[in-house]
Amino acid sequence: MEAHLLGWLAVLSYAAAEALAITSLRRPKTLPVVAGTVCLAAGLLLHFADLQVRARQLGSVPYRTLEGSVSLFGWMLAIAYLALQLRHREHAIGPFLIPIVIVSSSIGLLLPAHVSPATEQTRGALFALHVTFAILAYAAFTFSFVLSLLYLIQNRQIRKGHTGVLFARLPALAVIGRMNRTSVTIGLSVLTFAVAMGLVRAQELWGTLADPKIAFALVTLAVYALLLWLDRRGWEGARVAVLSIVGFCMVIFSYTVVNLAFHTAHQFR
Amino acid sequence: MSAASEARLFLLGWNFRVAESAVRDRVAFNPEEVREGLSRIVGQGLASETVIVSTCHRSEIYGLAESAESGDGLREFLAQWRGLAVAEIASTGFWREGPEAARHLFRVAAGLDSMALGESEVLGQVRQALSLARETGSTRSVLHRLFEAAVASGKRVRSETEIGMHPLSVASIGLELASKVFGELSGKTLLVLGAGDTGGLFARQAVDAGVKDLLIANRTRKRAEDLVARIGGTVVAWENATEALGKADVVVGTTASPEPVVRRVDVERVMQERRGRPMFFLDLAVPADIDAGIRDIYNTFVYAINDLEQVAEENRRRRAREVPRAEAILEEELQKFLAWFGNLSVVPTVLDLKKRFEQIRDAELARLPAGDRERFQKIADSIVAKALHEPMRRLKSEEDPRRKLDRVEAIRHLFDLDGK
Repeated sequence: MEAHLLGWLAVLSYAAAEALAITSLRRPKTLPVVAGTVCLAAGLLLHFADLQVRARQLGSVPYRTLEGSVSLFGWMLAIAYLALQLRHREHAIGPFLIPIVIVSSSIGLLLPAHVSPATEQTRGALFALHVTFAILAYAAFTFSFVLSLLYLIQNRQIRKGHTGVLFARLPALAVIGRMNRTSVTIGLSVLTFAVAMGLVRAQELWGTLADPKIAFALVTLAVYALLLWLDRRGWEGARVAVLSIVGFCMVIFSYTVVNLAFHTAHQFR
Repeated sequence: MSAASEARLFLLGWNFRVAESAVRDRVAFNPEEVREGLSRIVGQGLASETVIVSTCHRSEIYGLAESAESGDGLREFLAQWRGLAVAEIASTGFWREGPEAARHLFRVAAGLDSMALGESEVLGQVRQALSLARETGSTRSVLHRLFEAAVASGKRVRSETEIGMHPLSVASIGLELASKVFGELSGKTLLVLGAGDTGGLFARQAVDAGVKDLLIANRTRKRAEDLVARIGGTVVAWENATEALGKADVVVGTTASPEPVVRRVDVERVMQERRGRPMFFLDLAVPADIDAGIRDIYNTFVYAINDLEQVAEENRRRRAREVPRAEAILEEELQKFLAWFGNLSVVPTVLDLKKRFEQIRDAELARLPAGDRERFQKIADSIVAKALHEPMRRLKSEEDPRRKLDRVEAIRHLFDLDGK
């Protein structure tokens, strides 16, 4: 009960941050911008407390369960956005990104809780790092996804000559492109690390690497690596944005369908 | 009789709507003439305070008059000073009084009365008019407050509505679009083809917008050199213009050439060299300078003059849609000013002052033990009444309206009667 209370309070804070972000997008004034950042930070603290409670109940890291991992994903996304806000004073992304934080945090609270003890597979530092890094990579790719959508929106505004509120508030294409490149680079590096650790662990535990999730992770890596390569070879711009959206669809597929439908050793338990 | 009804705001003005430019030229004042006019209007007792707003599109004389005849006096004075017939002044200028005069200034400051709706330059001009009047000593509390309120409301309108957001001129639309592609334009290279009027105007505006690396190519080299001498940049020989394409991020065509100057094949090559980094083309020339096929090359942004004019038209409509919201803001601010101005008369001031003293009395009495209160109440009442008697009597009996206004204003300020 206590866990749910903290979690829902966090969601409430995020919702307030979203409302303020939308207000600030329409009329950028100092007060709502600062209040939005404060709400986001408050949400992050509450959310962290919630993750702590989960961890104590499970006697291990909270993200070996599906609900825990979704929740951690939302938390990482929010912290990445907070960092961007404080570092670059970039507020226009909030209204588009915070809803994903709200949805993933809520899913983490709504899914039935698993309180099974950790197995051999879900114990140890290597496993903890593997999952943490994988989720961090997903968060980075989600960031890239949102930035890509914004890129396409802004690209359209510019080409049509629509100089309205969105045009004025969204960053320039070059800026969105740069942030996108950073997100993908972080996501790609972290996922590579996560996959490498996973491969070592899988070889140890199962003695085989034939696993749909592993295959998908490798394809995802390939797509994002290709994106970075093409970005420097004439695809900079809308094409890279579309490719990033494709990559994100694969991430979602791998996170949901592959985990739930394919009976792989990778199921959360 | 209150001071506000004795001291009345007025406005005598000419703007681009009501006056033919021949008359407007005669009543347009340069800063020296503004100073002279201000001193003479106050010196001759035509107004107790006055401010003149004079720009290329308007000449407006704001004032605070003590008598109803000051309008005629002002017209006569102007006719004599500017060498016009009084009838001509009366028939071409417009006259506003009281709240209407104040409302007009608020609209002017917010750009609602400008030829280019929502333009921001006028806000600076209104501010400038106030500081000229202050230097000359022709403003006191009322017009000072009026103009500051108008400037503040104008700023509020700019920040809370989109009235100033959508650019209206072809050049500023082009630069705004380019800056949303590249971010800062200061680090980008801009190539202007053609150093005629359009090219010169655009180059100037680009420099104002922060462009540092400016290349100018013109068929007649001399013209490009003249332009560079005026606004900076580098001259590119016409034969090397295609080569310069490789360095440019933004290319602007303004030549009179009958055929496109920038060809698709050249841009294809350049785009390959720059590995697909975006390129921005503005075609301000008729017939076109930029080959239409360039639009199909990935990551190029191409705008012809027609596109930009359409955007300008759409932006004019967007600005017009913001007018009701802007007016609502102005009305809110205007009411605040009018409330303050209305209070600048003896009766409300006397009442407010009495209330303020009574508040102090009551607060002090409340601190006493209940038993003592009644005993002290009488003394306190008597102190308040006596302390207020003489100032109130003097305020009411002041004959000179200008001095009366100043005193009312001083009392309101010293006793904080407007609750700041």
